[in-house]
Amino acid sequence: MAQSILPGLFADLQRLGQNGQYDRAIKVVNKILQESPEDETAFTCKIVCFIQLGKFEEALAAIRKNAKLASCVVFEKAYCEYRLNRTNEALKTLDSSDKSDDRISELRGQVLYRLEKYDECFDIYRGLLKNTEDDFEEERETNLSAVMAAMQLWGGTDVEDA
Amino acid sequence: FPPSFEPVPCKPLFFDVALSLVEFPSLEDKLQTQKAATGGLTGIMKGWLWGGKKK
Repeated sequence: MAQSILPGLFADLQRLGQNGQYDRAIKVVNKILQESPEDETAFTCKIVCFIQLGKFEEALAAIRKNAKLASCVVFEKAYCEYRLNRTNEALKTLDSSDKSDDRISELRGQVLYRLEKYDECFDIYRGLLKNTEDDFEEERETNLSAVMAAMQLWGGTDVEDA
Repeated sequence: FPPSFEPVPCKPLFFDVALSLVEFPSLEDKLQTQKAATGGLTGIMKGWLWGGKKK
């Protein structure tokens, strides 16, 4: 019977996530992880909750404590490092990822911008604008123009025709 | 003194799009187990209640 409480808890978790009640979601996710400590989905949700609550140190501590599941939260780990201004570490974490999806590229673009590697950053945004189709196209265009402005000012590259 | 004003470039806007991509993974698999589980449970209940009458 212990197994059967999990689906109900996951339903609660989904509802709380949709409503943005991440502080309550953490309590539910902890219950799930008590029953099923190696559940990758639940663990990912826990880290997402920490990030949404701005608790980046706690998220990283949780990832450190659970090395077995760390590989499923590479994007989230790098995002925490990015927000804590550990930008070089964030880039290393992103490089360690064996798969490269759009989220990884998105964050890599932001990391490279902070590291002032504008040429690489420019290529990433060109790729993202071509390949993604979601609600954030305008934000990406804005970021691309910030990159182009930086290249023009400090990169010594003339990007007027780009 | 004071030095004359000179124009400086403003800091461009730069959005944190990655934060918008930090979201729960799909929980559908986990919820489907729930449907299967309740289905299974009602199945057992039905078996108890009506199992004897079938034959």
